[in-house]
Amino acid sequence: MMKEFSFALYAIKKNIQSSAELRTSFLLNILGMSINNTAFIILWGFFVKSVGVIGGWTVSDIIGLQGFVALCFGIVFSAGAGIRKLADDTASGAFDRFMLSPKNLLVRVATSSFSVSALGDVAFGIVCLGIYLVLIHASIIQLMLTAFLILITVIVFLSATIAVYSMSFYFTDADSVTRSLFELFLTPALFHGGAFQGTMRFIFTFIIPSLLIGTLPVEIVSHVSWQKFLFVSVLAMIWFVVSLGIFHHAIKKYESSNFMTFGS
Amino acid sequence: MKQIRLAIKIVKTLVKDRIQYPGRLIMDLVAILMRCGILLILYWTVFKLNDGMINGSTFLFSAWSIFFYFSFSIMRYREISRVIMQDVQTGNVEVLFSKPISYLSYRMWWQIGSGIYSFFVITIVSTVGLMLLIGLPPTMTIGLFLPTFLLTFLLGSILSLLIYIIVGLLSFWIEDINPIFWMVDKAVMILGGSYLSVSLFPPLMYKIALYSPFGASQFVTHTVFTSWQSNWYQLVGIQLGWILALGLIVFVMFGKAKQNVSVNGG
Repeated sequence: MMKEFSFALYAIKKNIQSSAELRTSFLLNILGMSINNTAFIILWGFFVKSVGVIGGWTVSDIIGLQGFVALCFGIVFSAGAGIRKLADDTASGAFDRFMLSPKNLLVRVATSSFSVSALGDVAFGIVCLGIYLVLIHASIIQLMLTAFLILITVIVFLSATIAVYSMSFYFTDADSVTRSLFELFLTPALFHGGAFQGTMRFIFTFIIPSLLIGTLPVEIVSHVSWQKFLFVSVLAMIWFVVSLGIFHHAIKKYESSNFMTFGS
Repeated sequence: MKQIRLAIKIVKTLVKDRIQYPGRLIMDLVAILMRCGILLILYWTVFKLNDGMINGSTFLFSAWSIFFYFSFSIMRYREISRVIMQDVQTGNVEVLFSKPISYLSYRMWWQIGSGIYSFFVITIVSTVGLMLLIGLPPTMTIGLFLPTFLLTFLLGSILSLLIYIIVGLLSFWIEDINPIFWMVDKAVMILGGSYLSVSLFPPLMYKIALYSPFGASQFVTHTVFTSWQSNWYQLVGIQLGWILALGLIVFVMFGKAKQNVSVNGG
């Protein structure tokens, strides 16, 4: 386990060093993505200003929501952008080289690529969460809850991503399918949390875990709800185990294309 | 004549390709259902909480306006920036420059061909669905609506392509245009009336949307409102003005970009 972890860290470090070689592009990507994400806050901010508070959600909650989602997105895709390339890898036969590697397959796949722009998401997420905590005059308990919830949202996001991109092994036109499924998961997570009531809340919590990465964490922090915290933590663990199961089942479907691509 | 034949050929080939692989259609359908569908549910809740009226507009008008934005986005004009960047980065642009076709018009028709099949199928299905679910606003049933809608759609398409071509052409000078692309794209998203309906824009934001090319490229979202009947020609005029201005910029930029490429023919 520790060996795999240190390998993952080594691969991430090398990926960052490689990307940072193109310094201007590296910095522009981080800055650009941070500005890009601000658009959602502007939009939902104007929305709340025009229509008023819905479901108890204010502008500060929207900032918190964008912070949680951007941070978990950024952490997962900066460290493990390779998962997103599974559809391409399986279609082109490039997945062979991962299967031949003596390292843990999932870790090897995930750390095979790095997204510079995701670092912009990380920066944006940290700033947003900082602003959110200041705006709600967070107590020590709320600070601690936020820290734990960042970890939990990363687990949920990673699990959902693994589950979605594992579908690459089941479909011929996997790229379209996986992108649709990922859209299905991510889009509701970025929406105004007050919009999800009743059936919608149930669907996007239990069937598609979109609300687990933003809406519910914000509600937990703002209301200091330990019950909800426990509930989200348990669901995160279940999702993680299920996603690993899906991944291991899915790779059995892979048929080697016998491509001689042993590089990188 | 040769240009038109090439355009038809490109569009026909890509439509056949999209029919053969329905994955893209499913992806577009899921995207519009997710983004637009949930947004409409949210707006429905919001209007209900505000007694059916916000900023003098009802849910019916806002819903159709938002739908037009997302429907227009299925054409994927924005992708042309990245396609140009890829051509430059991979050196494909060198190959295309050496062919007896206009590079930019080839890329424009390619983009239109890529999105047109999904656009028609999803727009027709969604329009019928939305009509049955919430009905049509009275502004969409008058004779003026359809011709002016088609006109602003056409001009919006040209304007969108020009905006994103300018971003794409920057890749002849800048290594990675993605950060600029994101900013432009979000400006179009905010000022075009995507998540925030045009009817809910604060006055200053509305003015910026009206007079900037980013907002002007999405004037289809304005067509459902009552004000469209009296000021449609002004808005169309703004679109034409921006098309001329940006067309000139593209012409100059492309001329300079070509000088930056050395065709080796290897």
